[in-house]
Amino acid sequence: MFGIGLVQGLYTTAKRFLMKKVTQAYPEVLPDLPPRSRGSFGFDADECISCGLCAEACPNGVIKVDYFLGEKNRRVLERYSMNLGYCLFCGLCVEACPKSAIFFKTDFDLACYRKDDTLFTWRGNGYRPSAAPESTPTAGAAAPPVARTAASEPGPAAATAAGAAPSAGKGA
Amino acid sequence: MQTLNDLFLIVASFFRGIMGSLGFPPLLTDAVMGLVSFVAVAALVTVNIIVILWVDRRVASFFQERLGPNRVGPFGLLQSVNDAAKLIGKESIMPAAADKRVYKLAPVIIFTVTMILYGFLPYGRGMSPVNMNAGLLFFIALSSTSTIAILMAGWGSNNKYSLLGGMRTVAQVISYEIPLAFSMLGVVMLSGSLNLGQISEAQRGIWFVFLQPLAFFIFLVSALAELARSPFDMTEAEQELIAGYHTEYTGMRFALFFMAEYANLFCVAALGATLFLGGWSGPILPGYIWFIGKTWFMVLVILWLRWTFPRARIDKMMKFNWKFLIPLSILNILLTGVGIKLYQYFTTVGR
Amino acid sequence: MRDSSIGSADGAAGSVTAVAAEARAADPALDALQTEEYTLNLGPQHPSTHGVYHAKLRLNGESIVGCENVIGYLHRGMEKLAESRTYAQFAPYTARFDYLAGVLNNWGYAMALEKLGGIAVPERAEYIRVIVAELQRIASHLVMLSSMVIDLNAVTGWMYAFTAREGILDLLEAVSGSRMNLNYIVAGGVTEDLPEEFEAKVKRTFEDLHARLDDFDRLVSGNEIFLGRTRGIGVIESGQALEYGMTGPNLRASGVDLDLRKDAPYGIYDKLDFDVPVLRGGDSFDRYHIRLLEIHESVRLVEEAMAGLPQGPVRTKLPKAWKPAAGEVFEQIESARGIQGYHIVSDGSAKPYRMHLRSPSFVNIGVLPELAPGLTIQDFVATLASLDIVLGEIDR
Repeated sequence: MFGIGLVQGLYTTAKRFLMKKVTQAYPEVLPDLPPRSRGSFGFDADECISCGLCAEACPNGVIKVDYFLGEKNRRVLERYSMNLGYCLFCGLCVEACPKSAIFFKTDFDLACYRKDDTLFTWRGNGYRPSAAPESTPTAGAAAPPVARTAASEPGPAAATAAGAAPSAGKGA
Repeated sequence: MQTLNDLFLIVASFFRGIMGSLGFPPLLTDAVMGLVSFVAVAALVTVNIIVILWVDRRVASFFQERLGPNRVGPFGLLQSVNDAAKLIGKESIMPAAADKRVYKLAPVIIFTVTMILYGFLPYGRGMSPVNMNAGLLFFIALSSTSTIAILMAGWGSNNKYSLLGGMRTVAQVISYEIPLAFSMLGVVMLSGSLNLGQISEAQRGIWFVFLQPLAFFIFLVSALAELARSPFDMTEAEQELIAGYHTEYTGMRFALFFMAEYANLFCVAALGATLFLGGWSGPILPGYIWFIGKTWFMVLVILWLRWTFPRARIDKMMKFNWKFLIPLSILNILLTGVGIKLYQYFTTVGR
Repeated sequence: MRDSSIGSADGAAGSVTAVAAEARAADPALDALQTEEYTLNLGPQHPSTHGVYHAKLRLNGESIVGCENVIGYLHRGMEKLAESRTYAQFAPYTARFDYLAGVLNNWGYAMALEKLGGIAVPERAEYIRVIVAELQRIASHLVMLSSMVIDLNAVTGWMYAFTAREGILDLLEAVSGSRMNLNYIVAGGVTEDLPEEFEAKVKRTFEDLHARLDDFDRLVSGNEIFLGRTRGIGVIESGQALEYGMTGPNLRASGVDLDLRKDAPYGIYDKLDFDVPVLRGGDSFDRYHIRLLEIHESVRLVEEAMAGLPQGPVRTKLPKAWKPAAGEVFEQIESARGIQGYHIVSDGSAKPYRMHLRSPSFVNIGVLPELAPGLTIQDFVATLASLDIVLGEIDR
């Protein structure tokens, strides 16, 4: 009979009208993400051996490993920076790292107000604030340097601007 | 209970009494009362638009398994206010090559026409701001003048998409006037009057939707086409013509089109409630409560149809009109006439 | 040779232009009426061009007289980019070609590299590849179904299908960490094994998917208005489809039974038992309906592969700077939109000398200039939606 399809459609929408809604009241209700979910990055500076495999594996040149040669000619990590504006979140760096120093975290809330805040920097064990002159911060990026331990949370670069900071050792 | 029913009439006669005792000539009294009812109607239109905006968004969301706006104000009730404020704050850009007078006049005309239509609705017994004996006819005639406004918008925008939208509207609205009018003819025959108040009065016994189900169906379909609501919204087809006739409108001018569409929706739903669902007649509750309730029922049915069905194709829609709806509406008139005669025969013979 | 009248005013018999032409011939007064054709740009900014696709339409009133495809608005130079990335580094980029079916792109690329380097893939990896690829195919088809109905203004249907897709995307996130551009299928296998509790999750998701698809079906497939908009619209005959080199569900909806998973099986598709739906009509409704049927077949494939999962490793790891032998290779897979092929030329170094993608959508839109004349704008929108194109792989 003509019209039966229309009536069935009306019945379907009426049924869904009365069913429970699927909206999640974010940010009061946070989503239940699986552990592998690729949100932000975490970095363990104690584990990092500055091999540079992650920077080599990255398709977009996101990672920059600043190190210098310390005692016994071992590499000491000075600064590890990721320019997340270019990152594909492909995970090749996480795969390449032999020490699992870089890993994914599930916090996805990465929106920020300034472009400089897309550069994530972690300070390594060999971070020397006085030895290497910091590059001039871009306008508006001036903020007091935050005292942090080696394996601390990443954050917007306090005193490092986007671009190369002159490093004492070979950059990766 | 009777007091509650006649609340507005009591207030109106109170004011008339004051003016009479102040020595106003009757013409001035009528003018002042006319002004008061105009303000009341304008307020009603504005409040309706704001409420329908909210209802449309919430109902649409509920059909789609989501919650809809619920952040701005309790249950998102202030969302429409937010939208209105946003639209007022936007820049009204006019295309450089647009026909300026036509372009600027179109939203004004369409909104004005819709507001005028609110004056004819019978909100309760004796509560029609304009009580015309040929009210229904005037209503239909006025509502079709909005077609000119849409064509003006389509032409004046100097945009091929807008012109397509405008031309589609003309074809669609003019064609669907006929079954709309014919479906109402059955109701007119049953009630014997074109006066909307008397039509509501005539439904004290039984609502016309039970006596004229076919006419109700035809009215619903034609009203959807007149309103250019889905499934007949090819005039402003968002997925084909970007925004149809109001592609080039921004800011307050777009807000006027937007408001006119929702105001028209309520208006036509109210007409449907008056003609078929009994208008203000109903037990216990005051007349205007029944009127508002029935109108909102019609609005919800129209929204239900809008959010379920895809859009028809314009030439198939025209075929549907000319080859199916119009013969059906003529058949309805025939059946109504026969029915009335048989009813008269049996009631006179049986006596 | 087909006598194609591209750009002429005579459409197929019964079309709007043909009827108009007849009316003119019959009535001299009408014939004297002077009308003009005009050019309308559909896109690139348009709500229903599925990306930045631009069609230059010549219109007579509302019926199309001529159509020209204009593409390139999303060109990102990916094929050139490939020449300056190592093979492993380019793998994440491949998912961005057909971004709605990311893993299927990865698989084509991985297969090409495996052939180039003679790499063996463990059995468990092949099964997992099928599972994840078919899940991605379901997600891609759900996008097509929902965007087709929203182009016809059935907004509720779009929402139902997208909510169903959310369940699939949650599964993909549980497996790889990303919802859309998964970098999961790599040369040598898959990057990680399936997570625990995956089978239970899949079962729950499929229950929800079936419920929502039933609702979607009831809402859309029998709807007389929808049928009126899509039945008999944009009919592509089987000969015409083969001439234009169309592949995938569009071809199968026109009656040609060609599916690489059955006809030239790769991976373990020859061990799995599934049907390939083929419809005869070739109109937009058939192209819509076949994807609905293919979703059910993909569900069947996933359940079968999950049941038959062997134990074992999931990846043959390649050396860091892998240098394949010089040579070229062309490998094709059945992607969600058709046959997707990767042509890789290697000169013995760690970076490819040339990488070319045979993109199914690029070939599929070639039929539009011949298909469009005779349709109205509304029909054109419906047909374009039924062809299911993705600009990412057209423009690369």
